[in-house]
Amino acid sequence: MTREEVLEILTEIFQDVFDDDEIELTDATTADDIEDWDSLEQINLVVACEKKFNVKFDMKEIQALKNVGEMVDTILSKVQ
Amino acid sequence: MNNYKFEDLSVGMSESFKVTITQEMLDSFKGITGDINPLHNDEAFAISKGHPGRVAYGMLTASFLSTLAGVYIPGERSLIQQVETKFSSPVYIGDELTVKGEIVELVESVQRLELKVTITNQSGKKVLRGKMQILVV
Repeated sequence: MTREEVLEILTEIFQDVFDDDEIELTDATTADDIEDWDSLEQINLVVACEKKFNVKFDMKEIQALKNVGEMVDTILSKVQ
Repeated sequence: MNNYKFEDLSVGMSESFKVTITQEMLDSFKGITGDINPLHNDEAFAISKGHPGRVAYGMLTASFLSTLAGVYIPGERSLIQQVETKFSSPVYIGDELTVKGEIVELVESVQRLELKVTITNQSGKKVLRGKMQILVV
C-alpha cells in the first residue's frame, strides 16, 4: 500500500466520521483545521482506522500523533 | 455498583436490571425538562390518541441506559461516549422494564466497549433498542 493510498482511505474515514464530504487531508492537517476534531472524535477515528486497515494501535502511539502525516506513517508501518 | 476493569470484560458479557415506570417518574421528568406535551401529562388526551393512558417519555426510558452503563456494565469506570436508540413501542405507567446490555465489541487501544442495548416490557416486547459506546476509564 502506498502513502497516497493510505491518505486517500484516511480522507474517506475522516469524511465519514465527521459527516463532511468536503474534508481534504494533507500531511499537515491537524485538529485545529477540522472544527469537530476533539478528543471523542479522535477515538472514533482510531477505531475506524483499526477496522479499515486491520491494524492495532497502542495508547502511546495515539497520544504522540501530531498531524495526519504522522497518522499515515504510523498506519504504513503497520500494514507493510 | 459494579467496577469492571477493561481486562475483566469480554464480548458476550451482559448485565441487566428491572425498573417499574411510575407516575412520579413522569412528573419528575416534566419538572426537569419542561416537556409539557399532553401525550405524557394528560390522560384524557393520551386516551384520545389511542393509548391506554399517559405515555412515558421516550427519553425517560432511555435515561435508564445511564444506569446500565454507570452502575452495571462497566459500572464505576464508565464514561458514556455515544448512544444511539430507537423507540420501538410505547411505555406506560406501571410497565416493568428490563434494561439489558451485551458487549458486542471491545477496542483495546482506546479502552472502549460497544454495548447492544435492549429494553423490554413485562410482556417481553422490545420498547427500546440501540447501541452505546462507553469508555472504561
